[in-house]
Amino acid sequence: MVEGLSAPQSAAAGVNQTEPLLSCRGVSKYFGAMAAVKDFSFDLARGEVLGIGGPNGAGKTTVFEVISGFNPADRGTVLLEGRPIERLPSHAICHLGIARMFQSNAGFDTLSAEQNVLVAAAFGHAPRLIPPLTYGADIRRAADEALDFVGFRRARSTEVRGLPALDRKLLMIASALATKPKILMMDEPVGGLNLEEIEQLMALVRKLVAAGITIMLIEHVMRFLVQLSTRVMIMNHGEKIYEGTPAGLAQDETVTRVYLGERMSKRIVAYSAGVGPQ
Amino acid sequence: MSATRRNVLAGLVLLAIAIALPFVLPGRYLIGQLTLFFIWATVVTQWNLVFGVAGIFSLAQMAIFAFGGYATAMVGLYGGWNLWLALPVGALAAVVFSLVVGLACLRLKGPYVALLTLAIAQGMYLLIITDTACFSMEGVTCRNFTGGTRGLAKYGDFGFREWLGYKYMAFGDYYLALGVLVLATAFSMFLMFGPIGAAFQALRDSPEYATARGVSRFKFQMLVFASSAFFTGLAGGVFAGYYKVMGANTLYLSPLLFLLAMMVVGGLGRTWGPLVGAAALMLADEGLKDFPEYRFMGIGAALVLFVMLWPRGIVGAAEAIGAQLQKRRSELGGTSTRQH
Repeated sequence: MVEGLSAPQSAAAGVNQTEPLLSCRGVSKYFGAMAAVKDFSFDLARGEVLGIGGPNGAGKTTVFEVISGFNPADRGTVLLEGRPIERLPSHAICHLGIARMFQSNAGFDTLSAEQNVLVAAAFGHAPRLIPPLTYGADIRRAADEALDFVGFRRARSTEVRGLPALDRKLLMIASALATKPKILMMDEPVGGLNLEEIEQLMALVRKLVAAGITIMLIEHVMRFLVQLSTRVMIMNHGEKIYEGTPAGLAQDETVTRVYLGERMSKRIVAYSAGVGPQ
Repeated sequence: MSATRRNVLAGLVLLAIAIALPFVLPGRYLIGQLTLFFIWATVVTQWNLVFGVAGIFSLAQMAIFAFGGYATAMVGLYGGWNLWLALPVGALAAVVFSLVVGLACLRLKGPYVALLTLAIAQGMYLLIITDTACFSMEGVTCRNFTGGTRGLAKYGDFGFREWLGYKYMAFGDYYLALGVLVLATAFSMFLMFGPIGAAFQALRDSPEYATARGVSRFKFQMLVFASSAFFTGLAGGVFAGYYKVMGANTLYLSPLLFLLAMMVVGGLGRTWGPLVGAAALMLADEGLKDFPEYRFMGIGAALVLFVMLWPRGIVGAAEAIGAQLQKRRSELGGTSTRQH
């Protein structure tokens, strides 16, 4: 366990280690006649970093929406530790340990940075029939630890409204952490960040993995996707066209043709060897 | 924590002034106007929870107020209860009514909530004024269940005349209304500064993000409608006992707009906004008393002015000016140290 996170995240005693943490089975989602996701299946093992790539409109975010309960699937099932969750509302899915981030820099704009995380700590972890009337010591500690963990450096009383992109993303991760998730779903976490900030976020993702959190991430920035993921899926038109190691991406003809292009495929070889662009 | 302490201190100072006021004010008219101010301010502090803090554009607050008032009056009239005992019953009835309104608005957003809640209030008004069926006979005259267009009367009062005598009976209503306002203000501030208030605001700022962090929209919408209704209904009961007549005029559009203006002028969602706004509007209304033709125009003009120029209200504008002054002062301090 890495310093800064007090509760065990996964691998709890008595959990069947061979069973996938999350499993999507034959999930389909239609918008009108268009299939945004078609008969989609995958497993997610504990401790993995599963990267999802693909062109715009491939259905990546829709997969996230289905899993996190924002847009229930029309067909198929989603199992979390063997338990079907595809009919649960999003707040209940959060309580079960799936924390989702948003592509847009979501935030509670009129609340302070600290309150943004306190809300998640107060309501995100376990379902409470009666909401807490005050922030107890455990809630404050969870929020504090989460803010420390992501390295949020600004004053905690700062209103979120005017914060720059990186700070908003760090806060979104901190609020997700405050819910003590098993799985963190990151939707384009480095969109709008500069190279230096991307490095900072990559380091943070590695720290999250070390703390025992399983990660799913959608990303267009290939260096981020390739260097962080233990496994990669590429989607196109709602279907999976590749699933395998990040290094294998460059060898795959379909992926090169549909998504990456020749030049990026060559660069991926360098990325997966651990060499970044200068 | 210091912000909480400052708010409590400011509240205590105001409370001390309010307690002393009846003894120094000349005449009963001003005491009566202040009693009314306490009643309206109570409603506005609670409405602010729904409208300002949770960002749900409900216009049902006066209907909830009237429901509490009518329920209190009916329990007194038909149940023969003492009005003091009828008060909490009326308040709880208002909570149930408000929950139904909240449930009806659950799937609606923004202006549609305003439209539906306004329709509910108008429906309630129409049901009352078209009530002509005989519910009971009072001598040879027929009495409607809701009192119809004449309103309900003869349901008793709080007995201040017997307790305090004719000279001081106005003091009784004054302190009762003040007590309800103090409790209502403390209650709303307690909610606003705690996790529940933060959950209301989180749902207002970004409903998707809030639910993704475990905040149930259903639960908290029900909670804000229920919690804001208790003191609103209680204020309705105090109003009924104070005026000794409960009529459908409480459901007219004009008091609704008057209270809405108080909320906007004071500052939506701000801690002291409702009280400041209620005071400002009551004062303005008092000033325009001799020019009745300008009274509503004045309220309308105030609303337009604030929405366009100071959308955060008096309290929001004051906070901005305070922050600006502090910034300038620290900048001045910075340059002077540099010169040394």
